[in-house]
Amino acid sequence: MDRRTFVFSATLGTLNLGIAGLPWRQADAPRKSLKIDVRAPEMALSPLGMPGLFPGRVVEVVHAGAIVRRRVSQPAVRAMVDAGMTALTGETAAKNAWGRLFTSADVVAIKVNPSGVPQTTTSIPLVREVVQGLNSVGVPNRHIIVYDRNSNQLEVNGYHALLPAGIRVVGLDQRWAVGGETRGGYDPAVFCEMDCFGELETRSYLAGIVSTEATKIINLPCLKEHNASGVTGCLKNLAYGSFNNVARTHVDPKTYTDPVIAVMCSVAPLRSKAVLNIMDGIRAVYHSGPFAWNPEFVWEARTLLFGTDPVAVDRIELEIVEQKRREVGAPSVWDRNPDHLGSSADMQRSFMKSPFYREPGHIKTASDLGLGRWELEHIDRRLIRMA
Amino acid sequence: MDRPDANWVTLLGGNDRRGGTSASRRSPPKDLVWKVPLPDAVRSSPVLRDGVLFVTCRDGCAYALDSRTGKVRWTFQAGAAIDSTPSISGNLVFFGCDDGALYAVDHTSGKLQWRAEGAGAIWTTPVVREDSVYAGSTDGSFKSVDRNSGRTRWTRQMEGRICSTAYAAERLVYFGCTDGRVYAVENASGRDAWTYRTDDGVIASPAVVDGMVLVGSEDSCFYALDAASGALRWKVETDLGIASSAAVADGRVFFGGKDGFVYARALRDGSEIWKSKSLRTITASPMAGGSIVCIQTFYGVTQAYDSQTGEELWRANLGGSLQSTPIVTDDAVYLATYPGVVYALR
Repeated sequence: MDRRTFVFSATLGTLNLGIAGLPWRQADAPRKSLKIDVRAPEMALSPLGMPGLFPGRVVEVVHAGAIVRRRVSQPAVRAMVDAGMTALTGETAAKNAWGRLFTSADVVAIKVNPSGVPQTTTSIPLVREVVQGLNSVGVPNRHIIVYDRNSNQLEVNGYHALLPAGIRVVGLDQRWAVGGETRGGYDPAVFCEMDCFGELETRSYLAGIVSTEATKIINLPCLKEHNASGVTGCLKNLAYGSFNNVARTHVDPKTYTDPVIAVMCSVAPLRSKAVLNIMDGIRAVYHSGPFAWNPEFVWEARTLLFGTDPVAVDRIELEIVEQKRREVGAPSVWDRNPDHLGSSADMQRSFMKSPFYREPGHIKTASDLGLGRWELEHIDRRLIRMA
Repeated sequence: MDRPDANWVTLLGGNDRRGGTSASRRSPPKDLVWKVPLPDAVRSSPVLRDGVLFVTCRDGCAYALDSRTGKVRWTFQAGAAIDSTPSISGNLVFFGCDDGALYAVDHTSGKLQWRAEGAGAIWTTPVVREDSVYAGSTDGSFKSVDRNSGRTRWTRQMEGRICSTAYAAERLVYFGCTDGRVYAVENASGRDAWTYRTDDGVIASPAVVDGMVLVGSEDSCFYALDAASGALRWKVETDLGIASSAAVADGRVFFGGKDGFVYARALRDGSEIWKSKSLRTITASPMAGGSIVCIQTFYGVTQAYDSQTGEELWRANLGGSLQSTPIVTDDAVYLATYPGVVYALR
């Protein structure tokens, strides 16, 4: 059993990784120190695990025809996925690209982002193309599981109904069937334990799909600003969609998403099994994420980002969101001006307001934990434009 | 038709998909008559007959509740979670199950009458016409079984999932499929009479009125097809996909869109009568009766509109997400919620 303790010291501005290292991070909001205990199975780090086969490489595919008459275009997404996967892996054929990461023996869990109904969720056409890619290397539909914490959001998005027959769509908040038995969504043996705001339940358990069922994970987050964590990208989608009891990490205006997101992603099953990230930025959000009830803050970026390194992909996402916010005159997600704090309703009305001091530093913290590359000069960003 | 106004025996009220009763509740329910918490989520809609409310639950049980008190009259344990809205015909209650089987249980005792095996989870409502029961499955199979014995009469295998509850007419059975097609198959044999291809999956359930099949598609369009030939009579485009099944009343068809609007269209030609903004995206099906249209939106708000003008009359927020169709009678409103609480409101 892997037992580690992380101590984040707000006073000293440090995140202490056990006794091994003292990665630097910026001292900022007046938060208390946070101790996180991790219990997870001992397992060797897979070479495919974070940061994966291509550390620092991010392929950005932009397709002018990704949205046709307000609908996400299946043919355009197909072309984007083919182009992105081949550019990421250096293979000339899409099938070979998928073959670099998956085999017919894999059981693949696909983590979608269903928060943000109806437009800013992982699009069905993207999930279908990922399934097609897995099928091309021999992974049958019965070995593909689409999951998230919220059954309800999965259902409203239509994943249950609109994906190919045989694929299991599992909300971790409900029991699900495995070989004639039903199981709960979370593994009681794998958890992160911390006390953020004096909550009664201090443990967050990992999805059983991640700890036991899946051999690989494909992460399909959305390109979105997040009112607590700055952006909700690869790292947050994976951590807060695979562990339970995570909303407790923020009470406005404070949030512990940094460092909790980073620490959760470092837990062995998640870190080792998440081998591919494809970020859905066909419709993107620059403010009031993750739900973005106000469509004014959604724009048609017509973009997919590909990478095995979730830190690098999130860093590029952060650049894209910050650029968009600059264009419209919104403050940076790093903003610390107390005059810009407001209620959720204020946030829905104005891009000047947020309930939280956002903490996008979780991306840097993840880099400090060895999950990928943060510095832009160490990121190989490749742009593909398609018409 | 087995549906006097006090009864609500299948999805959208009755096999004619009128989607409502003659009740006209122009003010919101104010008092809680009773509420019953069930052990797990409810993804289906309740049905009602003769003072008994039938609810299926993901704990694998079907419940018969006294509609006046909420007291449990009987419970039936199936083989897995139940996501299928039940149907009542004669003395039997029918529903599908995640174990792939169709169940028929006695209406008054809750005892099993028969169980028809299958492979894929059944989320659709079994539809009864004469001595046959029809249901599609998430594994793409569509079958007809004998109403009294559960013996399979015929089975078809489609390319996509079937989440669309069938409409059984005199000669043909209609349903949608996630392969993008609307199917019309012969009652007797299951052979195709016609198919119509839309541009994305069809998970909504069709209504058949005035010789037209009315159904929405994930391709954002709502279609009126000739029931005999499958020819397109008219179609209208919305801003996003349509998962909501249509309700029909007084020459109008009502449906909700994922774009967050409730639509009222003329049956004759699809022309817009009104279009009203709801609070959130809609995937549930409306009920239309009397002078109101009532629908659930994502995150738990029930909204009622004037069926003539589209003016919002009232809204009620019960918390938790509601995707099932409410039952509205003159005496009460019955709701089943995703968190598993069944309400009777006055």
